[in-house]
Order: sequence, then C-alpha cells, then structure tokens
Amino acid sequence: MACVLVHIDLDGDRVSGSSLIALAAGRQLASSWGATLYAALIAQDTGSKSAPDSTAQLVTATKVPGLEGIETALARGGADKVVVAMTDAPVAPLWAAVGTAWQGVIDHLRPRLVLFGADAPSAAELAPRTGARIGARLLLRARTLGLDEVELRDRDGGYVRASDGGAAVALVGRASETPRGDDDVDVVVLAIPGGTDDRIELAGSAPAEVLHTAGAVVALGDEAAKDPKIVANAKILAQRLGAILVGGAEAARAGVLPPGGVVERTTPLAPELCVTIGSAQVDIGGATSLIKIGAQPSKHVDGALPGTVDLGLAALVERLEDV
Amino acid sequence: MKVAIWLGSASPVRSVRWLDGALEAAAKFDDATAIAAGDATWLDLAADRATRLGLPSVGVPTDLQLDYLGWAQVAAAASRELGAKIILVDEASRPERFPEVAAIAELRDYAQVTHVVALAPDGALIHASRIAGRQLQTLRVRGEAVIGVRIAGAPVDEYPTPIPSKSMRRLDLAGIGLDPMVLAHRALPPRGAHQAKKSVERIAEHLSVHVVK
Repeated sequence: MACVLVHIDLDGDRVSGSSLIALAAGRQLASSWGATLYAALIAQDTGSKSAPDSTAQLVTATKVPGLEGIETALARGGADKVVVAMTDAPVAPLWAAVGTAWQGVIDHLRPRLVLFGADAPSAAELAPRTGARIGARLLLRARTLGLDEVELRDRDGGYVRASDGGAAVALVGRASETPRGDDDVDVVVLAIPGGTDDRIELAGSAPAEVLHTAGAVVALGDEAAKDPKIVANAKILAQRLGAILVGGAEAARAGVLPPGGVVERTTPLAPELCVTIGSAQVDIGGATSLIKIGAQPSKHVDGALPGTVDLGLAALVERLEDV
Repeated sequence: MKVAIWLGSASPVRSVRWLDGALEAAAKFDDATAIAAGDATWLDLAADRATRLGLPSVGVPTDLQLDYLGWAQVAAAASRELGAKIILVDEASRPERFPEVAAIAELRDYAQVTHVVALAPDGALIHASRIAGRQLQTLRVRGEAVIGVRIAGAPVDEYPTPIPSKSMRRLDLAGIGLDPMVLAHRALPPRGAHQAKKSVERIAEHLSVHVVK
C-alpha cells in the first residue's frame, strides 16, 4: 500500500497549526488513494548516545513518554500511524540538526508523497532537501481539491494525482476538509543514530525584525491609514493571514502599526506574500506573491482589486471568513 | 576559500536589488565567482551586475526550462568546475529558486542553510543570520556549504540595459559534464501566461493557502 508521510513540527508541546493543515490534507489524499497516512516527528532522546555508524532501531509502542498529548492530537488529526524518530541531537528547524533523523524516517517508510505545513518552522529547510534526496517533484503552497478523487494543486498549476508516477513533496497551505480521527493510533519509534552536521552550528536565536520577515506582510498606504474602517479591516486581514501590518509615517502617526511595523519607502522586504492596501510606499520587490487592493492589475502582480480601497478590502475580508 | 554565487536561470521578477545584494554578500569573500545559466539577455545582465562589484562571472547558455532539480544540476556542475567550497544562492530574486539551495547541497553533499539575511566571513568560518519563522537564528558555518541568501542591495529604480559581456566565461553543458538530452528530463511542462486575478473570489482563493487557522 502506498505511503503518504506528513512531517510534524512542534510548537512547544503542541503540534504546529501548519502541520495540522498538512495532516488534514494528507488524510484526504490517503483516503482517496487507498494509502496509509503516517505522521512523523523528530524528538530528542537525551538518555542515549548511539554510535554514528549503527543502524536505526525499530520499536513499536503504544505511547512515548512525554508525547502522549501530541500522539492523541495526531490521531484525531487523521494519522493512521505515528512515527517518532528519536535522535540524540538537539531538535532545531535546520537540516543540519535533524536531517539525519529525518532521512532515517524517509528510508524506513519510502513514501510516495511527503507533506509539510507550508508555514511550519522546518519546512523551508527540510522539504526541498527531501525532494532532492528522493528525486521528487516539489509543490509550493499546495491545497487539496476534489471529493472522491482528491488531488493536490499548487498556485503555479503544478499538481499531484493518484494516477501519477514518481514521488512528490508538497508544502501544504490549505486542506479543504478537517477530518476527525480516533484517539488511538499505532506508534512506531525509530531510534536513529548519528547527530548533527558539524559544519553548521546554531549559536543562538532572537526575535526577527519586520525587515527580515519571510512570511506574510500587509502594507497599509498613508491615505488608507486615515480611514478607521480600512484600518480595522487591514488588521483583520493581517490576523487571518498571520501577517505583519506595516506602513509609513502616516500610519505610524495614526498609531495603527505594531512595534517595528514602520517601514521607509526603500526598506527592502522579501515576504512570501505581500498585500498592499491603497498606495503603500514600500519596496516589495522581493515578495514571492503580491496582491494589491485599490490598484489596477499590472505586470508581476498576482491579483489586484481596482476601485475604492474600503469596499474592496471589506469584501475580501468578508470572503476570507468563509475560507 | 573559493566561493561561487549562483544567480539562477532567469532575471529577477521585480527588482535587481536582491541580485545586487547577493553579489555584495559574495564580494565579501576574497575569491568569489558569479554563475548564471539561461538565455543571452539574462547572462548579460548577470555579468553586468557582477562586474559592477568587481566579481568575475561564468555563464552557461541554454534555452532549457528546468525544475529545481534540473537547475541544481547545472549549478552543482558549474560550481564543481570552479572548485567552489561555498556556494551562495540568490533566493529572493525569483520565488522558484529557494528550493535550489537544498538541491545543490544534496548534489554536492554539502551542508545547507536557507533564508540567510546577513553574512560575514571570518577566516575559515562564516557567521550567518537566518530567518526561521519569526526568529532570527545565528549560525556558524564551517566547511562546505550552500547558503541561500535574501540580502538586499541599494535601491535601484532603473538600470542601464546591459551590453553583451566580453568578460563572462562561457561554459557549455557538455563541458561541465551534463548531457542536455538527459537534463531535459527535468524540463518543466509549459505553463499558461501569467494573468493577475481581478475578482474578490479569485483573490480570496489565492490567499486561502496563507490563511492561519
């Protein structure tokens, strides 16, 4: 039976929301394709030190101490089986830190489809490397489509269907259904030897500045910032997208921006998504995807709502409530 | 430390600012060479921007349209030809390029670091800061690595049309050990022309893959 594998990132002692979206998509696909859905996470086993050249040890368990709540969440999220890859290296969202353990999971399961939450912390490091290692096609910001014959489709037109040959890796942004599974699930523990890649050393971390965000940004124009209704909807939009609200001096004077949200006209931003509201004066040349509200469609813009800003924004926010 | 900077296979989508920033990051190293692949217009632009920063450049002319694994094969082969132990990748100028960081690292069996926003060579060590969600990680890189950078240069409103470069060293695919017929197996299927979405429904659909639950 084919295997659909979902990488699970943890956010503290909970499953990352983005990983749960990927799991929901995996459930839909596995049910449609007649595949087994595995949810795999990497955890540090501080109690053991294996020789780097020893082989992975397989243990079937009902629960792993300390991870019971996570296993239940994954079972309810639709997983058929949970794989816990135990590594003696500290877990961090870097291939150098968890790549060996993740490779152990891939080698053990040999999946046909590997899913990551598009916004999960490890996705940027692990997904493309996984794809390269198994020679897979890569879909970015994919979502599930269909009822009986479910497929994955990304916004560039790439797709994965049950009838396709070859492996695929996808960063999933949306699942059209949220399944509700049982509380019980089979747990497989893989004790994987070998630690981190010594060529990369994580020296520390700190909160990032807005300037460096790689996620989503909503940029508010100065004129738009004077309208309380637009500001309120801009905040709702930013919240829905998990985005940072940024703007110029006028928006700052209006007190509508979060700390660090004031950007100059030439401040370089390279988010994955930028939504501009009104005539926002920001340099979004590095944005992966660009949506403009209150502007005419132009070259290299993914979407634009011409017309008045307040009406267009209000309609979009209302529409997104149904998503 | 021999360094290559992979500029990719097509010109930046919106701005050369990130291309310039990646080249400036590479220019911090003593021995860096820019690599680009693709059509002649793009190679001329890449050579021009590299030359402005005093960097030599290598071009791989080809009209192939490849996926991330295909371009990674080109970048890996060209960087191997140059003897590069550190490969920087401009991952901000075009969205499809960031997966090439991992793919090149896999092909060269190098370490990888993506989403790097600051870089400082320090002898045999490289200090790098990378974005991981809303965290800024500080890393030390020792030895062979592929580093995806998203570092901006100075604002550029307009730039002169580059003239065909005489200084760019041309490498053909066969010369770096790649068979174009084999490489073509990684060709991307033709996609329709990009058209901006204009309705609330279609834009909401576009944004739906970013919605936080």
